[in-house]
Amino acid sequence: MEITMITNIITWILQLIFVPIMAPLCVGITRKLKAKFQNRKGASIFQPYQDLQKLFGKDEIISKDASWIFRCAPYIVFTVTIVVGASIPLFASSINNTITSDLLVIVYTLAIGTFFLALAGIDTGSAFGGFGSSREMTMSALAEGGFIFSLLTMALISNSTNLFMISQNSLLLQGHFFLSTALAFCGFFIIVLAETARFPFDNPSTHLELTMIHEAMILEYSGKKLALMEWASANKLLIFIAIASNLFFPFGLAQDLSASAIILGIIVFTIKIGIFCLVIAILESSIAKFRFFRLPDLLIIAFILNVIAIILIY
Amino acid sequence: MENIQHYLPKNVKVEIINNIALFEVSVSDIKKIAIGLRAKNLQLNLITAADERETKGGFKIWYVFGIPKQNIFIVPFIRLQNTTKFPSLTPTMHSACNFEKKIHTFFGLTPIGHPDLRPIILHENWPANVFPLRKDFDWQAKVKATHESYQFQKVEGEGIYEIPVGPIHAGIIEPGHFRFSVAGEEIILLEAKLGFVHKGSEKLFEILTLSDKLHLSEKISGDSSFSHSLAFCQAVEQLGDVVPPKRALYLRVIYAELERLANHIGDIGAIMIDTGFNFGGSQGARLKEMIMQINERLSRSRFLRHINTIGGVTKDIFVKEVELLSFDLKKIQKDFSEIIAVAENSTSLLNRLKGTGILLPKIAEDYGALGVAAKAVAILNDARVNFPYAAYSELGFNTIETEMDGDVYARFRVRIKEVYASIELIQNALIKLPNGPIYTPINNILFRKNALSVGIVEGWRGQIIYFITTDAMGNISRVAPCDPSFLNWPLVGEVGPSNVVPDFPLINKSFNLSYSGNDL
Repeated sequence: MEITMITNIITWILQLIFVPIMAPLCVGITRKLKAKFQNRKGASIFQPYQDLQKLFGKDEIISKDASWIFRCAPYIVFTVTIVVGASIPLFASSINNTITSDLLVIVYTLAIGTFFLALAGIDTGSAFGGFGSSREMTMSALAEGGFIFSLLTMALISNSTNLFMISQNSLLLQGHFFLSTALAFCGFFIIVLAETARFPFDNPSTHLELTMIHEAMILEYSGKKLALMEWASANKLLIFIAIASNLFFPFGLAQDLSASAIILGIIVFTIKIGIFCLVIAILESSIAKFRFFRLPDLLIIAFILNVIAIILIY
Repeated sequence: MENIQHYLPKNVKVEIINNIALFEVSVSDIKKIAIGLRAKNLQLNLITAADERETKGGFKIWYVFGIPKQNIFIVPFIRLQNTTKFPSLTPTMHSACNFEKKIHTFFGLTPIGHPDLRPIILHENWPANVFPLRKDFDWQAKVKATHESYQFQKVEGEGIYEIPVGPIHAGIIEPGHFRFSVAGEEIILLEAKLGFVHKGSEKLFEILTLSDKLHLSEKISGDSSFSHSLAFCQAVEQLGDVVPPKRALYLRVIYAELERLANHIGDIGAIMIDTGFNFGGSQGARLKEMIMQINERLSRSRFLRHINTIGGVTKDIFVKEVELLSFDLKKIQKDFSEIIAVAENSTSLLNRLKGTGILLPKIAEDYGALGVAAKAVAILNDARVNFPYAAYSELGFNTIETEMDGDVYARFRVRIKEVYASIELIQNALIKLPNGPIYTPINNILFRKNALSVGIVEGWRGQIIYFITTDAMGNISRVAPCDPSFLNWPLVGEVGPSNVVPDFPLINKSFNLSYSGNDL
């Protein structure tokens, strides 16, 4: 009994800190892989940690026109990613979380983050922030349908809207509903790219202020608040990778709370993260960013794929 | 010189200086004569003024027209005595617009009938009654800043809003301010305000010694160092009747084409990186670096500086180097064509380039577009062919690479074609490189008195012009450099509208104009 308690607590702590600890590494690996594809050496995969440390040690400049929204937004956006990060299956599907792991709770908690991010972008009245916010809202409004429907497809297949339950159930349902799962995954992957500001939606490494979406919204931030914003967007990337890999490819997830299962779960999950980073890096090295007006088409494709996936279930 | 008669008005006294036919016309006639010359398909290359109140009691304004293929310039000029007003050509000849604005700002001469007399280059902080290119303005004088405001054009209506961008940008590029009026993402109006890197170069040209003038010309626009100094040297050589030896002329072609190669390949990569096509971007940067290193190996300067000298060049290319250079270029050509093959197969890249930032041929013509922008709408404008200099005609260079569509893709394609043409030119020049000295030694150069000359060079951006005059003592009294950016900048404003804002950086990159060359 005692030992179960302890492993339970350890698992929960791991679940809570896993996303913020691993997220910068995930960004670092993607950047490193991209550099390799472009014949560059690239910075160390631990560079994002050093960047965060640097930013946390810096002073901030806040516009005198900024309101409380601008000051609070980084904390809200960051907290949202921590809460969501703890509420999704990462390395174990056996954690029983019935409060915040419902798919609608997840989708709309993330929406709170986006909402405050967009408000903060407009808050200082800078032209670029307004641009970024307007583009972000257009995109997330269009992405929302695809996001919910792809999760819904998985919920319908496994008869539960709890993400842990879905990842557990589909483990048992391997082989069945293959086509639906595949279509839903394709749709979800497009949403991942849109929500995490990657190609072909947004260019995370651009210096062209007129083309930015996510970067434009945080252009006015500096120092500690910028660090939080950067960290939050890294967390978001890992969250989406986790949902994509654990809902659609749920093998290797720890089924019980034994130490060996947990360790295996972490190793498998890390490999999955690596694969997703590789796919994103290949994508960002081989295609050009799409014109802004072509992006809605892509998001609507994601939505349609999921509708077909749902129809195919019955 | 015989076949220029039909370009000249009757009953004028024409003075022939080298390849220039100079004649005075009365202030009231200039409009008619300039429009007549333009109607005969001559290209308006430059309008510039000089303050000769001390020596000849007035201002002089020259109108430089070039006759393509003949390398001859027709230069009517007017004298303004006891007046600061002259008739504006802009209402009938739009390419005169910025030249006249510049004369207005820097000399305080008013073009009567000009539709837009807002200051150019000098900002609202510069007092409106101080004219820096007048001779009585001391180049070291400190001017008290005024705080006027600059009126941008306004668009009004529901949902229209203005975005000010720059002068400081998020990337490390030159400074310039752009004012967008947008409806949602679509650009309705785009106005550029430049002048943030004005360095008083034209005034400096009047002060510096001849060798420093040459160095200054290399700094007018750093990425065109060789072409700018070449244009300056050619103009000075004409004034001093210095003929560079043949080997120097071939070497000048080789260096000039190396400069073009480095910048075109760099731009091709930069256009791709602005669409986010990272493969092409990093490969472009890599090849550009290879050429920069070749430049350094040949001349100890990555930007080919300190090569041109009056009477020739200072850096020779030796036999061993000829082979190495030829080998390197073959390698670069092979890599380059592989990269272009990948780019041309990328649907996502082509989708971004095609149909973006379309320049209409009529607009290009009216604004007097030069270089890549003009060639992308099939305007045959290339000084290497139209006003052959150095060894271009001996090398049989007579094809101007063009495209039809005038979009980003057309400008991208023009650059690609010119890269291949440049490599071929260099290889050709390396084979035919004659033996002999690389410069004509000159001890005490004496210039023609009361003369003028035009140095013209096709830089990688387009045609660069240096207009130089001498006074009665044979000293250089005025140097007017003109980078193609000065004529091409207004095109960017014309091309912007009806595109979406996120495409603007790409459009701007496809022109890749010089701020420094424009602001002087």
